[in-house]
Amino acid sequence: MERNKQKETIVEVISNGPLKISGNIKLTDSVRGITSEDNEIYLCRCGKSGNKPYCDGSHKRHQGM
Amino acid sequence: MKDERKFTNTGDRSYRNDDITVYWKPSACIHASSCYRELIEVFDPGSRPWINMKGAETDRIIETVDLCPTEALAWKWNEESRNAEVSTGHTNHIKFKRPELYKVPPATEEPGPVSVKIMRDGPIVIEGTFTLLHNETEKRLIKTINSFCRCGSTKSPPYCDGEHRIKGFEG
Repeated sequence: MERNKQKETIVEVISNGPLKISGNIKLTDSVRGITSEDNEIYLCRCGKSGNKPYCDGSHKRHQGM
Repeated sequence: MKDERKFTNTGDRSYRNDDITVYWKPSACIHASSCYRELIEVFDPGSRPWINMKGAETDRIIETVDLCPTEALAWKWNEESRNAEVSTGHTNHIKFKRPELYKVPPATEEPGPVSVKIMRDGPIVIEGTFTLLHNETEKRLIKTINSFCRCGSTKSPPYCDGEHRIKGFEG
């Protein structure tokens, strides 16, 4: 499926993995003082990442996602 | 061609074929008679229902509805996107005669950025207009707010169900 990444924002729930968000995004994490307008981010869904709020692949070492 | 009638509380009715819907508003009729003089095969006051959408080709029905001097008869394309292009020559298109029936198609302007907020010891809150891909399905969410689990303990993934608080999630 063809998508225009610039215009459409897509939130993809990756099975047993992170939340992939691409497109026109404004990320804010006030606890860590992060604001970002990156066009593609992967956010941790398993709670185990050592680099929250981003995914660092830790979910692969844990069962039960 | 399917012929489908719909009754409403006001006495107004709508009739459709595969292409268009014709709206009938009896309270607006002044009996100018253009409809049945022009196309008795469709508009026959002696028949019930008095509008037979199978009686003629769509083009002829549109032409005849456009002759009605009042808003008693109006029409629209069933394919909503076509309605935006209808010109003023079609006097009885709903845009001109029955604007209350016309749903303006969603603006094609670019939606603003989607807000992604990380909540303290809680979920990811996403607000705006975006496409959600989940389990091979695709959903278009327009101006919505949703919270997605970040702790891994939710019972209704991918959404947050408040479990982070019970589990004492920190992050």
